[in-house]
Amino acid sequence: MKVSYNWLKEFIELPLSPSETADKLTLIGLEEEEIIEYGSKLDGVIVGEVLETTQHPNADRLKLCQVNLGNETVQIVCGANNVAAGQKVPVATVGSTLPIKLDDGSFLTLRKAKLRGEVSNGMICAEDELGLGNDHDGIMVLDETLKVGTPINQVFDLNTDTIIDIAITPNRPDTTCHLGVARDLSAALNVELKKPTVKLSPNVVQISDDISIEIESPEKCPRYVGKMIRNVDIKESPTWLKNRLLALGLRPVNNVVDVTNYVMHELGQPLHAFDYDEINGKKIIVKDFDKEIEFETLDHTKRKCTPGTLFICDANGPIAIAGVMGGLHSEVSDSTTNILLESAYFDPGTIRKTAKTQTLQTDASYRFERGIDPNIQAIAADRAASLIAEITGASLNREIIDIHPIQSNPVELTLRKSYLNRLLGTTLTINEAIEIIDGLEFEVLSKDENEVTLRIPTFRPDLVREVDLIEEVGRLYDYNKIEAPNHGIFVSTETFSEWELLVSKLKKSAVELSFKEIYTNSLISEKEATQFGSIDSMVGTLNPLTKDMTTLRPSLLHGFLKATAYNFNRKASSVRFFELGNVFEQSEDWTFHKGIKEQTHLLLGISGLKNTEHWSSKPISYSLFDLKSSLNELFTKLGLIEGISSIIKDEALVYSYKNIVLGELKSVSNKLKRTYDLETDAFVVELSVNAIESALKKIPQQVYKSIPKFPAFEFDFAVIIENSVSAGDLMTTIKSKAGKTLQSIEIFDVFEGESIGKGSKSIAFRLQFLDPNKTLNIKEVEPIINRVVKTLEKQYSAKLRG
Amino acid sequence: MLDDIIALKKEIATQSITNQKELEDFRLEFLSRNGSVQSMFKNLGSVPKEERASIGKEMNEVKKLAQKRFDEAKINLESSVQSSTSALDDLTLTAPNTPIGSLHPLTKTLEEMKQIFYRLGFTIADGPEVEDDFHNFTALNFPPNHPARDEQDTFFVRKSDDPDISDLVLRTHTSPVQIRLMENTKPPIRSIMPGRVYRNEAVSPKSYFLFHQVEALYIDENVSVADLKETLITFVKLMYGSDVKYRLRPGFFPFTEPSLEMDIWWGSEKDGKWLEILGSGMVDPNVFISTGVDPEKYTGFAWGMGVERIAILKYGIDDIRTFYENDIRFLEQFN
Repeated sequence: MKVSYNWLKEFIELPLSPSETADKLTLIGLEEEEIIEYGSKLDGVIVGEVLETTQHPNADRLKLCQVNLGNETVQIVCGANNVAAGQKVPVATVGSTLPIKLDDGSFLTLRKAKLRGEVSNGMICAEDELGLGNDHDGIMVLDETLKVGTPINQVFDLNTDTIIDIAITPNRPDTTCHLGVARDLSAALNVELKKPTVKLSPNVVQISDDISIEIESPEKCPRYVGKMIRNVDIKESPTWLKNRLLALGLRPVNNVVDVTNYVMHELGQPLHAFDYDEINGKKIIVKDFDKEIEFETLDHTKRKCTPGTLFICDANGPIAIAGVMGGLHSEVSDSTTNILLESAYFDPGTIRKTAKTQTLQTDASYRFERGIDPNIQAIAADRAASLIAEITGASLNREIIDIHPIQSNPVELTLRKSYLNRLLGTTLTINEAIEIIDGLEFEVLSKDENEVTLRIPTFRPDLVREVDLIEEVGRLYDYNKIEAPNHGIFVSTETFSEWELLVSKLKKSAVELSFKEIYTNSLISEKEATQFGSIDSMVGTLNPLTKDMTTLRPSLLHGFLKATAYNFNRKASSVRFFELGNVFEQSEDWTFHKGIKEQTHLLLGISGLKNTEHWSSKPISYSLFDLKSSLNELFTKLGLIEGISSIIKDEALVYSYKNIVLGELKSVSNKLKRTYDLETDAFVVELSVNAIESALKKIPQQVYKSIPKFPAFEFDFAVIIENSVSAGDLMTTIKSKAGKTLQSIEIFDVFEGESIGKGSKSIAFRLQFLDPNKTLNIKEVEPIINRVVKTLEKQYSAKLRG
Repeated sequence: MLDDIIALKKEIATQSITNQKELEDFRLEFLSRNGSVQSMFKNLGSVPKEERASIGKEMNEVKKLAQKRFDEAKINLESSVQSSTSALDDLTLTAPNTPIGSLHPLTKTLEEMKQIFYRLGFTIADGPEVEDDFHNFTALNFPPNHPARDEQDTFFVRKSDDPDISDLVLRTHTSPVQIRLMENTKPPIRSIMPGRVYRNEAVSPKSYFLFHQVEALYIDENVSVADLKETLITFVKLMYGSDVKYRLRPGFFPFTEPSLEMDIWWGSEKDGKWLEILGSGMVDPNVFISTGVDPEKYTGFAWGMGVERIAILKYGIDDIRTFYENDIRFLEQFN
């Protein structure tokens, strides 16, 4: 909200400069967002005397003027017709800045210049160039008695101000006006608050002949005050009033509307002026309807208003949307002579809802929806009425109509010294606390050394509990003044959780395996999501801003593919990425919320060149086995490798530890590659971190195995089998038949070709045998090999290769 | 005779040997069987006996010099010969690139924060990204009509008219983890909650529909604003250096009362400005009540900050979207 520094000074003696005031406001919770200088102080613009004018040698329209500035005489090129020797004129000297906005948003600063070959040391100004009026017909000619060299800001009363734009938090409706901001400053600075004097009219409920006011929906309108003003002369507002509004960025309209805006910014009460003679039946009814109503507001917009919208009606129907905007028909116009001034309290929730459904936030709705003072309506109406009377010469009815079906009474709160100090960490006495919040207009009802009971004015609807009062003490005391203890480093016996340590270890391991971490979107489009399964089993958002954020990712694969394509499109030749993040699905096997399974996954993915083109080696692309070897390394680092098994399922290799499925390794399908515009092969493994966590709990206690004393015996053999038989199956069989001296199996050659026949392949195994008690020899190993080969021949029709 | 020897010595000392041919020439000229050094020794016989010892000594010096020059030149030439014999022996050739693993800058920033909190005695707590209305809003003292509950601000995952089935949202902050902790743990509680959060916002350089937060919670019997200040100050000093300039000012959050915000001075003394880095406050009594903690017995502080914002400040990144594009040229700056 914009606050005028000059206006604040009407209410308090401010010992602070505008920027100091802004800082102080920030420190008491009214955060300054921007300081805006309004109007120009015209520094460097002074009174000069034109001594002589001559024709510019190169331009018909320009004159060369010799101007006396007091301490020097300079030449200025001037284009005005009315410039003449002997005149006293305003001169913008070199270096001064004028309130003329340039295209880049900055203001014109004068420099020494050459105009058509002639030097010009400044500018003789017209009225509009100084922001003093609209006249641009010629230069301004000043009173000839003025002394040369006098600053122009001493000649004219310039309309300058500093506007402080502050952020109003939702709990502080009292600070949506100058009086409220001044009150906070007066409390913080300990200076007196001077409120505007308002002569209150006697209240009545009805003035029989003029107007009747009726509230049909008292919950939505607990109070409605009307004031009759007769014989107004609608015209432009006086300068002081226009300047106040202009400085806040408001457009002056006419003297009546301007006063209602002025009082709103002064006291915080939104007001509305109706053209009395346009009110049918001389009747105001405040009510809502249980059906949709179409209504044209004064911004010439026909609006469909939902049932429950609160209206101000006359005998014929709605004339204003309560608290939001008036109607076109009853608006104050140039021909208006009599006015009904409305000053009401509307229920904040009702106004918020209407403003939201109409997407129409006005200065009035902004205040109503935050909750204005429910006891200021009569004061604000009288204040505005007397200003209107003063400005327009109107006459006022003596009385004010005040319909007040629901009263708001001030709350009483007790502040305990013990709780105050316990929460703030201070050692304040009750008297010191009262001193700190003095100025906020809390009334002390009773006190002793341990507690004080206060009556809270109704303009502070945010203060309903003791803790709210403690915040008042804290913010005005200044949190920066509270002394922080010095406990030093806090020692905790707890370490990070197992989960946290696992996540850190996985990330650290992936980095050690030369993967780069990526962070990708967890919200993807429905179209993208369907690539990874049935949309019915996924978790969606009901109200995404765009179609790109409809579905929570069921897998980390989308993010990897997108990041990979993004980089290949930017000339990258290789990616090696990992991501650790949550994935979501609908499942009976839910995690936190019924029906929804949220799990943490780890994805490792590679694509592109393993070796780029280089003198030392040929370019080689990544293969699935590069990723498989990284995965083995990861399982080794985690201590899982001993219990890992894998099976082929749907063209993926599914990994388990004991009975826990950990995840799967696969090549990205051609279909997916096409969707993501990937031309290179890509390989991914996606593991469930939750499953890894469970698996880690099943690792048996590690026991040291002594280093073998005897050498191992190696035996190589190759078999020819059909292509459809997997190496994994062969190895499982070998392991089951070879007995406990078998230490390891390695595949050292895979071969296919005409020599072994179509549809067949040769796989060469190297088996290592070890006996902890003796050196093995061929005699002991041969029977084992024979047993293994026989089984392979029988089970897979394998042929031993010679 | 002596003059001849001196002349030969000079000749040997000054002979140029810069390549293999010159080396061979030198050998033939001076050191071979018919070379001038050997020839010189042949003349020794004609030297008068009484001079023979001294002349012989001179001749030996000449021989030694010739051998020394030859040996030195040979070693010098060999080392230079080696580097030009094979193209692949060039040490200045480029090495093949090996891939380098790295953590994302957000993880790096988060790790740094975690380490600081660990030193301050905080543990780490975790919770789901899909949350129910109670944990995300109600328990945190958000009134039923609070703007954050609007569809414009929050992603809804499930909306239900059945009071037994709670509305689900994508959590808008990590504060629901605080609620879960309070529900399940008896104070004292001293923990941080890092995690991913969502806001239904349009994407721009300054805002993204998801980001990461770290919140901290400390609940015990006599926790005060002063204690909050102590941890905040320690944190910013460890994060931004002990000379960091900071200030506290009042703020407003539904779940804390009083609420405070912390600014740090960013930039030079003259051209810098105050930058908001975190929000904090004393846990609102209503939050305690909704989680079954006695507000008369316990007090506590909570604070939260955005990881992206801290990383943006730390590394001078100008567009928040950069974090989620995963451009390698961006990632490799954080090795």
